[in-house]
Amino acid sequence: MGYAAGVDVGSTQTKAVIIDEEGQIVARGLVDTGANVVQAAENAFSISMEEAGIDEGEVDYVIGTGYGRYRVTFGNAQVTEISCHGRGAVHLFPQTRTVVDMGGQDTKAIRVSESGEIVDFCMNDKCAAGTGRFLGAASAALEIPLNDLGDTALNSSRPVKISTTCTVFAESEVLAWLGKGKKVEDILWGVHKSIAMRSSGLMRRVGIEGAITFTGGVSKNSAMVAALEERLEAKLNVSEECHYIGALGAALFALDHIKASRSPVTKEVSA
Amino acid sequence: MTNRPLIFDSWRDLPLEEVLRICRDTIEEGDFSPVLKWRETGGKVLGHFQVYFPQELAHAAGMLPVMVRGAPVDLLHADSRFGSYLCSILKSSLDLALSGKIELDMFVSHPICDAARNLAAVWSRNFDYPCQILYLPQNANSQGTIPYLRDEYDRLLRKLEEISGKKVTEEDLRNSIALYNRSRALVRELYDLKRSEPWKVAAEDAYSLVAIGGLIPVEEHIALMEWVVPEIHKIERNKEDRIRVVFEGAFCEQPPLDMIRTIGRSCYVVDDDFLIGLRWLTGDVATEDDPLYALAEAYIERSSYSPVQHDNRKTKEAMLLKRAEAAEAEAVVLASAKMCEPGLEEQVAYVLALDENRIPYFLSEFEENMSSFGGLELQVETFAENILFA
Repeated sequence: MGYAAGVDVGSTQTKAVIIDEEGQIVARGLVDTGANVVQAAENAFSISMEEAGIDEGEVDYVIGTGYGRYRVTFGNAQVTEISCHGRGAVHLFPQTRTVVDMGGQDTKAIRVSESGEIVDFCMNDKCAAGTGRFLGAASAALEIPLNDLGDTALNSSRPVKISTTCTVFAESEVLAWLGKGKKVEDILWGVHKSIAMRSSGLMRRVGIEGAITFTGGVSKNSAMVAALEERLEAKLNVSEECHYIGALGAALFALDHIKASRSPVTKEVSA
Repeated sequence: MTNRPLIFDSWRDLPLEEVLRICRDTIEEGDFSPVLKWRETGGKVLGHFQVYFPQELAHAAGMLPVMVRGAPVDLLHADSRFGSYLCSILKSSLDLALSGKIELDMFVSHPICDAARNLAAVWSRNFDYPCQILYLPQNANSQGTIPYLRDEYDRLLRKLEEISGKKVTEEDLRNSIALYNRSRALVRELYDLKRSEPWKVAAEDAYSLVAIGGLIPVEEHIALMEWVVPEIHKIERNKEDRIRVVFEGAFCEQPPLDMIRTIGRSCYVVDDDFLIGLRWLTGDVATEDDPLYALAEAYIERSSYSPVQHDNRKTKEAMLLKRAEAAEAEAVVLASAKMCEPGLEEQVAYVLALDENRIPYFLSEFEENMSSFGGLELQVETFAENILFA
């Protein structure tokens, strides 16, 4: 039996994961999505195949997910990222019953069953507040690289309160706090707390149950993890693989397909 | 009416796909040219706001009944006449009239909600023609209900006679009822097809075919449907992996066609309450005896349901369950127009009933001017795939 793959074309980055028949990750690929979505999917998949040391012929089934799932032109099928994040989170952390997936453009709260099926979900549908985009606005206003935001924020001792719920106005509020002489780390921690507040509201709409797993690109931000844990008063499951969970979930669905197509056909005979 | 030139005939002699495209475009682009054309030929127009109006009355008086149900238009005037907290359909309906996209000779609305009960008054401040309120009975279960409604219809008919200058006889009314019976039967046939072979007709096409009926003379709608429905039956198309859903929540403001299209990519919409006012009567109206009484009787005894009619014999949640069961739906899409109090209130009862009966549902909201459906598509697709994969 060959391999299964999942390609998650996100708004900011495209991720590919190849798994073996046991569901173990054998390789990953990561590229910035950019404007050419089709190319990004191909590049991420190529990188993962190179890392695995295999060629396309050895991958039996590929599922595309993410907002660009229908642009994974070499894929065999598409599954939404909500289903894939749920499936991937339960695979990595079997006790998971609630998933918060925070990406560049949206945040999703997902409740899952023991087997990784979606029980309920909701996503921000009105604005980008409570998403990675909010951090992007703060990064631009404070001129601090996105990757340094978390560590900087964790040095805060007196966080400011970010009251706006609009990403566009948040930038103005951040600048206003700077004008009042507030420390950058205090402003940033305020931003993280504000996002955590918005996201926890979303999570409560689907109901928070069992272990919570934090997925998506923003889960790599240590301050965001801390802010959410503080808000939810719970420890979050976070893994190095969290960024790849959507692609992993897609690969697991691909593996299901491979196994189902190879299982013996049974025929009911009526008496 | 039969001597008038046709006002919607561009579909004739064209293949089915083209006919459906014309209907879609007319509805999607908010094209009221058939109504303007009617007026150009000297015809008078009655505009009736959602949800239900017995179009037979206007038809018998020689007028064109047009369902005023808003449209996805940029508001030029209405924002200055209504508060921002009101639903879109009120604003866009008035805007259509103020901007001259539709021209009426009479307007009728109904006190279906707090916002709409003032619509006729607002309308009358802006136009010289009569603006009337049809007071449909709030209590459907009293012995006096049908006689009361018969008299209410009679009152409006007298007004229509004044506008049209035509004295309406009982025979006129019976003829109109017979035509609308035929039109409703054809729409029911279309819905039977949606339930039995939903892959043959896209949800937005079925919608457009019904919606056109609110814009053109019933004779022309019958001709259109008598040609289109058998053609749809002939389509040979394979069933796809989509779930069967009932769409509930479009009794007044209508979702944009793109929203229906988006849902249709993952689901077969096997039944719905789209434009329910045009499909309100579920059976034929009697053409003997007193035609006004027959219309009133049908409104009470053989009618659908919506959050703005209250009848103890048919609670909305029980009716929704019946609709889902009859259509063999696997799930329900529960939508509500933004700022729609009756729609949102009813959602509570719907959700409880669906939970109790373990029927999956997807909650959403819409506005007629919505134009971005990426988030909705993702969510509906997730909802559908989790039912398909279960």
